[in-house]
Amino acid sequence: MGSNKYKILVVEDESNIRSFMRTILETSGYQVLTSGSCTQGRLVFSSHCPDLIILDLGLPDMDGLEFIRSARETSEVPIIVLSARTSERDKVEALDMGANDYITKPFGTDELLARVRATLRNSRHGMGSTLPGGKFLSGDMEIDYDKRRVYIGGNEIRLTQTEYNIVTFLSEHSGKVLTYSTIIHAIWGDADTGSVKKLQVNMANIRKKFGSKPGQCQYILNELGVGYRMQEENERGDET
Amino acid sequence: MDMRTVRHALRDMLLPAGILAVSFLLSLAIQSWLHTQTLIPAIFVLAVFLISLATQGYLPGIFSSLVSVLAVNYAFTFPYFKFNFTIPENLVSAVIMLIVTILASMLTTKMRRQEKAKAESEKEKMRANLLRAVSHDLRTPLTTIYGSSSAMIDHYDRLSKEQQLKLLREMREDSEWLIRMVENLLSVTRINEDDIAVIKTPVALEELIDAVLVKFRKTYPHQEIRVEIPDEFVVIPMDAILIEQVIINLLENAVQHARGMSELSVRVYLKGRKAFFEVADDGCGISSDQMENLFSGYQEQKKRPADSGKHNMGIGLSVCATIVKAHGGRISAENRRSGGALFRFSLETEEAEHGE
Repeated sequence: MGSNKYKILVVEDESNIRSFMRTILETSGYQVLTSGSCTQGRLVFSSHCPDLIILDLGLPDMDGLEFIRSARETSEVPIIVLSARTSERDKVEALDMGANDYITKPFGTDELLARVRATLRNSRHGMGSTLPGGKFLSGDMEIDYDKRRVYIGGNEIRLTQTEYNIVTFLSEHSGKVLTYSTIIHAIWGDADTGSVKKLQVNMANIRKKFGSKPGQCQYILNELGVGYRMQEENERGDET
Repeated sequence: MDMRTVRHALRDMLLPAGILAVSFLLSLAIQSWLHTQTLIPAIFVLAVFLISLATQGYLPGIFSSLVSVLAVNYAFTFPYFKFNFTIPENLVSAVIMLIVTILASMLTTKMRRQEKAKAESEKEKMRANLLRAVSHDLRTPLTTIYGSSSAMIDHYDRLSKEQQLKLLREMREDSEWLIRMVENLLSVTRINEDDIAVIKTPVALEELIDAVLVKFRKTYPHQEIRVEIPDEFVVIPMDAILIEQVIINLLENAVQHARGMSELSVRVYLKGRKAFFEVADDGCGISSDQMENLFSGYQEQKKRPADSGKHNMGIGLSVCATIVKAHGGRISAENRRSGGALFRFSLETEEAEHGE
């Protein structure tokens, strides 16, 4: 991770969870700051300028979403949200409000570290793992932004204009979950409910053209009820 | 939801009007043919009673009783077809009728409340049963986790690396199981939270199955699953997280209970306006006494020995039943002729789509 350690701020009210997250992150070479409340978290955030914030949504003193909003007013620091499984709405809200990613509680070491790595990398590059020549690589998939073409294993995949726009939009934010409404807004510009189905149909066509079968979607991961995520090269194998 | 309240309100207005009109005409007929008025108040009392029975709250009943009193006074007491509240006889009969009708509507409203309370307590009982079964099932993994971690702390120096690793692995395994259990419970509370049915959003079938397979593989990386779904693009309105849970529970149930299983499959097909989901294995099948209370969450607790750990078939399946029912679908189980068990549930593919 280089000589200069990344600073990660963990805002979580459960001290046991804080403690094991600190252990995991520190043994992986990150510098960890923790706080048990939003108020304290805000103070630490403004005085220490962390490179990443991991934020529990269910804090007692303030709504986690409020924290995200106030943080976004002054800074683009990447934020990963911790949330319960059954609250996709919270996740979607947090993502739409500017959170970069989420981890569902309970989570394992692998998942936490994979998300942290991907989020840090994303925020550093801004544009995923774009290569100098205007190309994007994920496994054996290649996007040539200049020629507006997509290849898998060297073979060109013929996509419609809309499909290509979706794929490139996802690739520009690879590693990050993009909510349905974010994608719809970027592709069609409006967010009426009919478009969700439009998006679903387009995604189905893309999967078909990519040769992805249920359970083996390699390039674009489907986050049920939340959105889609383009898988990053380095992410492979991180998650079992 | 809105449509339904509007429909209810409309019904609560039209029904009393209809019944009162019929009673009025009937009374007119009786008066002109039988030349008697003694029956008429009785007819109106009956009408108001029926109205309070069929409508909600006090208002329609009381309103109807007022209308009845006026109608009887106007048309069926001397002087005919004229309001007259000065004759004491009329006044007294009006008051009596008002009292009777108000009492009737109060009584029926009370009755309905009691019925609702009874249904509520029934639900409460079901919840208590589930809770009891769950606490029992939670104890085993907790014992492992508590015992192993205590052993680690108390004998830190005396345990070999391998022993420590073994204890830790078991702790992780049992916590994973606890996690799945709690997810199941959360699913149920999510349904019971409000009395509203689940919130459905259109979900692409392919994406649902994809999520199921990815999640299932995390727990059982070596279990192959054969998948058969329609080629065409299918959207089904559902609470995706809950239905995902149903399919995973059914798959997990097969892995844990279908002894001798070599093939596990998920199949989805469309028939009419319904989508049928089938999870089938070729294991030992379901015995007839298991079949009886399969989805009630009951049996395991009674039958299994107290120490047999993780066989939460009862709870997993009863959660499935609760979820599918809340979706307005049906779930069933059968033994396949070729051997093994088959679980099937259905969901509506089309529905008046609710907004977010």
